[in-house]
Amino acid sequence: MNAIFFGVLTILSLFIFMNLGKIKASKKQMNRDDRINWGGKRRPNFQQNRARSKIIEGSAEEVDDDTQK
Amino acid sequence: MSKHSALNTFGRSGNPAFTRNFENTEAFSQSERMTLDGAVNKTAILLTLCFAGAFAGWNVPALAMPGLIIGTILAFVTIFRSPAKAGSTAPFYAAFQGMALGGITVFAEMQYPGIGIQAIGLTFGILASLLFCYKSGIIKPTENFRLMVFSATMGIAILYLVSFIMSFFGSGIGFIHSNGLFGIAFSVFVVGIASLNLVLDFDFIEDGAEKGLPQYMEWYGAFSLMVTLVWLYIEILRLLMKLRSR
Repeated sequence: MNAIFFGVLTILSLFIFMNLGKIKASKKQMNRDDRINWGGKRRPNFQQNRARSKIIEGSAEEVDDDTQK
Repeated sequence: MSKHSALNTFGRSGNPAFTRNFENTEAFSQSERMTLDGAVNKTAILLTLCFAGAFAGWNVPALAMPGLIIGTILAFVTIFRSPAKAGSTAPFYAAFQGMALGGITVFAEMQYPGIGIQAIGLTFGILASLLFCYKSGIIKPTENFRLMVFSATMGIAILYLVSFIMSFFGSGIGFIHSNGLFGIAFSVFVVGIASLNLVLDFDFIEDGAEKGLPQYMEWYGAFSLMVTLVWLYIEILRLLMKLRSR
């Protein structure tokens, strides 16, 4: 019984590995800023860059001479 | 410019196996690039060779020690010499480690019948369940996750090395091998860390396929998965032996 249970578990697990392994990981897994950088070069940190940037967010407003006065 | 320029250059880990620059992929055509299919197929080849080696080791247990020594040398050669040659070293590594595992399992089976198939089932069960958790995004490996797993792995390796050296002088670190509560807790912890190493291997393969690394990295990814699986199997076998001996 022991051998049958663990034998079936082994075969089933290998089957799952062979099929699931070939499928790309979910977007939830892949589209993250904090993924491991295996290449050595650091990925650009968009959150950090956004905080450091001097761009002021908001709606654009047209400035003419009358309003300036 | 960051004050931590070393971090920019090498990343968080100083391990040479993790800090090579594999990102120069422009020189390779589409057919020469790493894919998930290729990495999984090569893992299957290595597993088949490992089982063939284990069959030989099971029938001739004397092959266990030479298999372990040659397999370990081949692992170090693959990691530290050149990952590009993993295609020629990894199959031999798998076969020799299989011999070692076959021999070790025979000794375990003589003491506790049925323990081998339990360890194999649990090893592959953990592999499949963690692969599902990784692919679905339940487990998300980050730089801190890698740092934590790598530090714990190095800690365990140093502990084993110290214990091995101390054994030459007739002593050792007792709790590592004991079947007491502390010894079992230590084994559970080691099995946990070995399992988390699988997640790092999955991420390495997924990242390599996404970036289109050269095709030989399929062998390197499969090899790193094999190294972790061999370690996990041995640790599960040790844990089951401790539990059965109580």
